[in-house]
Amino acid sequence: MLAAGMSRRSLLRSGAIAAAGLTSASLLAACGSDDSSGSGGDGGGGGAELSFVYMGTAEQQKSWNDLFAEFGRTNRTIKLEATGVPVDNWAAFFDKVNTQIAGGVKYDIVQIATEGRELFASANLLEPLDDFIGRDRRELDELLADVDPNLIKWNTESGSPDGRTYYLPGDFNTMCLWLNTDVVRRAGAEVPTDDWTWDDFYQLGRQVKDRTGAFLYPATAEYFIGVMPWLTTNGASTMSADWRTATCDTPEAIEAAEFARKLVQDRLSPAPGGSFDRFTLTIQGRMAAFGGGRWPILQVRSLRAVDKFELLAWPHNKAERGSPVGWAGYPIFKTSENKEDAWTFVKFLVSEEGETYFAKGGGTIVPARRSVAESPAFLDDSPRGTEKLYEALQYATPIPSPPRNNIIQREIEDIWGQILTGNTSAEDGMKKMQDEISANL
Amino acid sequence: MSSGATQIVGTSRAVGGAPRRRSPRGGEKLTPYLFLSPALLLFLTFVVAPLFGAIALSFTDWNLLGSKRFIGLDNFTRLAEDGDLHKALGNTLIFTFWSIVLHVVVGLGMALAVNRQMWRVTRYFLRTAFFFPFLVSWAAVALIWQYALDPNFGIATFYGDKVGIPGLADGWLLNKTYALPALILVDLWHTIGFAFVVFLAGLQAIPGHLYEASEVDGAGPVRRFWHVTLPMLSPTIFFIVVISFIGAFQIFEPMYIMTRGGPDGATSSVVQYLYETGFRNYEVGYAASIGLLVFVAVLAATLVQFLLRRRWVFEG
Repeated sequence: MLAAGMSRRSLLRSGAIAAAGLTSASLLAACGSDDSSGSGGDGGGGGAELSFVYMGTAEQQKSWNDLFAEFGRTNRTIKLEATGVPVDNWAAFFDKVNTQIAGGVKYDIVQIATEGRELFASANLLEPLDDFIGRDRRELDELLADVDPNLIKWNTESGSPDGRTYYLPGDFNTMCLWLNTDVVRRAGAEVPTDDWTWDDFYQLGRQVKDRTGAFLYPATAEYFIGVMPWLTTNGASTMSADWRTATCDTPEAIEAAEFARKLVQDRLSPAPGGSFDRFTLTIQGRMAAFGGGRWPILQVRSLRAVDKFELLAWPHNKAERGSPVGWAGYPIFKTSENKEDAWTFVKFLVSEEGETYFAKGGGTIVPARRSVAESPAFLDDSPRGTEKLYEALQYATPIPSPPRNNIIQREIEDIWGQILTGNTSAEDGMKKMQDEISANL
Repeated sequence: MSSGATQIVGTSRAVGGAPRRRSPRGGEKLTPYLFLSPALLLFLTFVVAPLFGAIALSFTDWNLLGSKRFIGLDNFTRLAEDGDLHKALGNTLIFTFWSIVLHVVVGLGMALAVNRQMWRVTRYFLRTAFFFPFLVSWAAVALIWQYALDPNFGIATFYGDKVGIPGLADGWLLNKTYALPALILVDLWHTIGFAFVVFLAGLQAIPGHLYEASEVDGAGPVRRFWHVTLPMLSPTIFFIVVISFIGAFQIFEPMYIMTRGGPDGATSSVVQYLYETGFRNYEVGYAASIGLLVFVAVLAATLVQFLLRRRWVFEG
């Protein structure tokens, strides 16, 4: 009902004015909800409750919850409040957690992947673990003896900007090809061996396409899954080993991009950017392979397709082998008032007991301990060749993740996507990638 | 409440016959403010205070995790030099222009089509069908259209290819030429229902005798449209133009969900760029200055529209 004296026309006019004022103001307000000195929040901390935030999509929650329950059984005095952030990539996870921290939420422990290690360690937010490590040396010596030396080395190099230790080496993912052997056999081909080359891969794709109509592999612009495997198997990377210099315009990097484009151009890969589900498509036999670490295991198990698959090392070209590697760390925040309890939980996460329980429960990460990664807890009900995910640590390259990685990763994925679709040539695209990364290092 | 009203109504008249109002007592003065206070409190807490916070932030360098550093006008200087922002602004202006044009033309066309004699069930069905997409969340709309625009099996890709649109082999959303037009059309599909309903209400409020008089004067349908419908509908058109402008200039969701501003910034919008700057790049101070830029732009454009209103909006 219109207010007395207000015509329909003036109501429309007033409505427009009000909308202009309110929407603009709320837009500004979105940037202004700042209280860096805020305390409390819903993250807990400051009491007997131990708060832990981790990345966990809905389907991963069960294995995490089982792990927390196991921790609760053996540590009855510590009450754990775990918060799973249901996103599917680390960039989104950091967006969420960083915003919460800026808003005053306090956590005791956070799960951090390689992509966020430098950012967090250099922000002076984390508690150095050296005193704890010194005190529990014997326990940790047992851990370190069981972890691949490469992982220990990378963990130190990328997570200790001031020489102090903030992270214990945690579980990781490398990249292999998950090959549907049914499709390969239907095409009349042999299942390749681990020393196969890009040419072998391409020829297999042609054969699969010609004889079954199935795609070979889904080319994608995702940094870890779609970009780095091709670069590393050609002896290239996006950055130098110390992550201080961009290396995208080398002939090897350009050649890798050209090969990925060729897979799309020759229709051995579906056009990128689509909504198809690569796991389902491959399990259905409409695609021969997809790239992945440990995480596809949940879908493959739920569709009862474990026996169809075999994991193979990524096909190589100029390098003997290649794969990116990213690993998790579980640092303790400086602001934690439960540091002792937090340390107990961190040790549990990397203990043989914790890793075994997580692996058995369907964890989507490869255990840092070799003994667990080679045990039935990890290998049972898994495709043939699953042990190759751990073996890849011998030749893997840590996913380059400098402090401004969020910006860099977005640029890399956008440009690689344009190369895949043919919007730009591999050479121009990789040169542009070089410039964009250099500008953000 | 009734006692005060009774007193005013029953007050004695002055010599000249004009009613003389008694000044409200202290408690009565407060009453309206008490009624307003819940909404006012929310408005001050969640709009005004953060707004001033944003203004303060725009003079700082802050990465969310560290402490803030005052940097004077550096963020505002950067606004003038930031090529990516300029690209986003350009895209936003293109998006806004087409959004306004299409919402007015298509929304009015749909309203005219429904505002005629037809079977009641058909009319209800058309109204519901046209308005329904407006009720669907952006996340769902984005998912639906990502399927439709899929390069491998999308229906829009299939028929686009059939009618001869070149270069669709790699789909719409990863193609620099088609990505922004695709988002404009998706947004139109999603929000046209609102313009349609407002136009329909506007059409139904035009007095019938104006049409009868014009018919008597010999005006045909076209002349009636130009000389009766459009002038009488001009306040509604003005409303839709202003609302469409504000909505389109702040477009965020389709860019964020469907394209992330790509390929090569072809679909980045200024608000999506603001978000990426603040919450992906962790340059919160600079993001706040972009927010101020958008605020000023929307305010200025709306004021200009109101100034120009007198020239074309029929206020009779």
